[in-house]
Amino acid sequence: MREAIHVEKPYFLASLREWLFTTDHKKIGILYFTVSYVFFLVAGLFGMGVRLEQAQPGMQVVSYDTYNYFLTGHGVVMLLWWAIAAHIGGFGNFLLPLMIGARDLAFPRLNALSWWMFFGASVLVLLTLIPGNQIKMMWTGYPPFSSNPDAGVTALYVFVIHLLGASSIATAVNFIVTYLKMRAPGVTFWKTNMYVHTLIAANVIQLIGVPSLAGAVTMLLLDTYFGTNFFNPAKGGDPLLYQNVFWFYSHPVVYVQVLPIFGFFSEIVPVFARRPLFGYHTMVFAVWGIVALSFIVWIHHMFVSGVPNWIRVLMSYTTLLIAVPTGIKIFNWMLTLYKGAIQLRSQMLYMLGGIFMFLIGGLTGIPNAMVAIDLGISDSLFVVGHFHYVLGMAVTLGILGAIIHWFPLATGKFYPENLGKISFWVIFAGANIFYFFQMVVGMLGNPRRYPDYPPIPEWAALHMIQTIGALILGVGIIIFTWGMIKGLISGEKAPQNPWKSPSLEWRLPVPAPAHNFGDEPPKIEKDWHPYRFDKLEEGNK
Amino acid sequence: MEQIFALPYEWWKEAVIVWLIISVIIYLVVAVPGLYFVMKYRYKPGEREIGDHDFESHAGLEAVFVVIPTLIVLFLATYSFSIFKKMRTVPDNAMTIKVTSFMWGWQFDYLDEKGNVIKSVLTGYNPNDYTLSEEEKPVIPAGKPIKVLLTSMDVIHSFYVQPARITEDAVPGRITYLWFQINKPGEYYVFCREYCGTGHSHMFSILKVVPPEQFTAWLYGNNAVAIKSETNKEVAQ
Repeated sequence: MREAIHVEKPYFLASLREWLFTTDHKKIGILYFTVSYVFFLVAGLFGMGVRLEQAQPGMQVVSYDTYNYFLTGHGVVMLLWWAIAAHIGGFGNFLLPLMIGARDLAFPRLNALSWWMFFGASVLVLLTLIPGNQIKMMWTGYPPFSSNPDAGVTALYVFVIHLLGASSIATAVNFIVTYLKMRAPGVTFWKTNMYVHTLIAANVIQLIGVPSLAGAVTMLLLDTYFGTNFFNPAKGGDPLLYQNVFWFYSHPVVYVQVLPIFGFFSEIVPVFARRPLFGYHTMVFAVWGIVALSFIVWIHHMFVSGVPNWIRVLMSYTTLLIAVPTGIKIFNWMLTLYKGAIQLRSQMLYMLGGIFMFLIGGLTGIPNAMVAIDLGISDSLFVVGHFHYVLGMAVTLGILGAIIHWFPLATGKFYPENLGKISFWVIFAGANIFYFFQMVVGMLGNPRRYPDYPPIPEWAALHMIQTIGALILGVGIIIFTWGMIKGLISGEKAPQNPWKSPSLEWRLPVPAPAHNFGDEPPKIEKDWHPYRFDKLEEGNK
Repeated sequence: MEQIFALPYEWWKEAVIVWLIISVIIYLVVAVPGLYFVMKYRYKPGEREIGDHDFESHAGLEAVFVVIPTLIVLFLATYSFSIFKKMRTVPDNAMTIKVTSFMWGWQFDYLDEKGNVIKSVLTGYNPNDYTLSEEEKPVIPAGKPIKVLLTSMDVIHSFYVQPARITEDAVPGRITYLWFQINKPGEYYVFCREYCGTGHSHMFSILKVVPPEQFTAWLYGNNAVAIKSETNKEVAQ
């Protein structure tokens, strides 16, 4: 195997056979990411269909059922493919071994199995495009509705969740073991990149939470097809059981989605501020604080579901407390900028934009957590606007910026800087126009998941503004995607460590060679730290 | 003093204003220094190529970042609790209406003190627009607290009184409740806010709020009261 280290051909030019049978974490990461990105574009089109339908009162573009299918598809794919698989399966696979100085993941073949299960789920989701196979139960799939014929093919939804869940559990085990056992000597807990900390935290949530979701959808499958009565009140079941089991995982999952994005912010902001991450230690505690709290807040999704009043109040407190560790992170990023030497490269713009979106998203999360306000805005477009600031835009801006940042490591080329900057400003403007006014119309009372709404002039005007914002956002995504293609084909050749970062992955030549650092782990100096820029060799500072 | 328009809308609005003020302050405290740092501490070749490496952490400052947000959120949670308690405590003089949801509409049963049904109104499914015939509109008296008992015949629905900004789900097999009060006569929307399939966005009703005398006449009479239907529906701002 020694020779393989010296392969000169970039790994991404490997043969089709190598791609199909690969167990290499970088190739698998790229496979994950490619599928996720394509799905992101498709789910974006679904979202655009939803948005265009709401541009005016009345039904103009699609039927109710198509709308419901689009919205279900948009939710499922954006959450499970884009906001989880793109940066856990994609970036996590690619970066985790590189950042800790390992050769590969602990179980490369298990990793390949994860990828193929994920691929199977992707095929299953595509089957819903066939007329008659559509699922129209929204991504939450609440029974008894989801057992109803109007909800579409329940089994497809359940199997998609099962396959993705099995894949996620395998990945979580793999990542956690890799982190615990395969760090290069010198990479201690307190010298681990924030991205790795957040990735491991996210996978701990996956490991604890996914079985709960799998249980919920299994009961749903049994109820729908095998005549059990878990959720059937006529035979002693309770529909709220599903919601409890579902949200026990599906609330923490928002931290699976967003914690690694915090990792991206924490990696890229210091590099372009040329300054260590402020409050690194509190940041790590904050991550684990969020993990712990995330499992005791799920009732805030059920504030109006008829659960007892005392549990609503209790979980209103725990939910609001999550603002504390999250706030710490925002303060720390801001203080990382203090006395820095800031370069506004395109990926830095994406990170600052992402933090800005997250700040708005965080502040607009407060009324959802304050149970008294939530009774008036639950299931309204306010909630939709809020989580598109957090999960929609903070996550998307984080991933897009990360693409630009690690593009040289994956391809050996630069992402075109001018397209990076243009796409950022277009996306940022479009998203703010869109989601801000979505929150306003939600405050006025517009319920969510409505293809049609009463012809109230204010609502119609606000929906039109949102639609214009959404179109601008769409143009921005197209520009960004064009930049990726252009960078791949004719991007400027990148030198090793183009951003002059002390992080371990940049010790490799670009693109990263097969078997990473080779047989010997990288030699790590005693005073090395992923955020110490003053310890870089001269000329690299 | 301006007359109270609806409850719990007034309390809800007050809570929204408190949240908004605190959020704008937090936003400014975070974003303004952040923007200032970005503008001031720029990379300059030969002059400013590396940032400060001494100010990496500060125990006092970080403790402040923990303590102050904790105090703010504890205040907000307790404040919200105090309002929530009022929102969920039905006044003694409330009138009870039983609302049964189905795909896609509601049946409103007006109950007397013993729980017997005095009158029923059925709002059916109108997939075409947002208008209803007079018989389909539930009528309630202005200025009187209304307690709504909710349940569902098929899937989970909800009952959202738009002018009062209050929601509760209608869950099959369970009885849930909410209460509200509207003081100004007029016509107001009620929506379903829990996704329930094809007709979800047209699962609505129009609540007709009338002066109490007219309401009594309507409740015990046979015909729908003809109150002046306004062409533009009242939409709470």
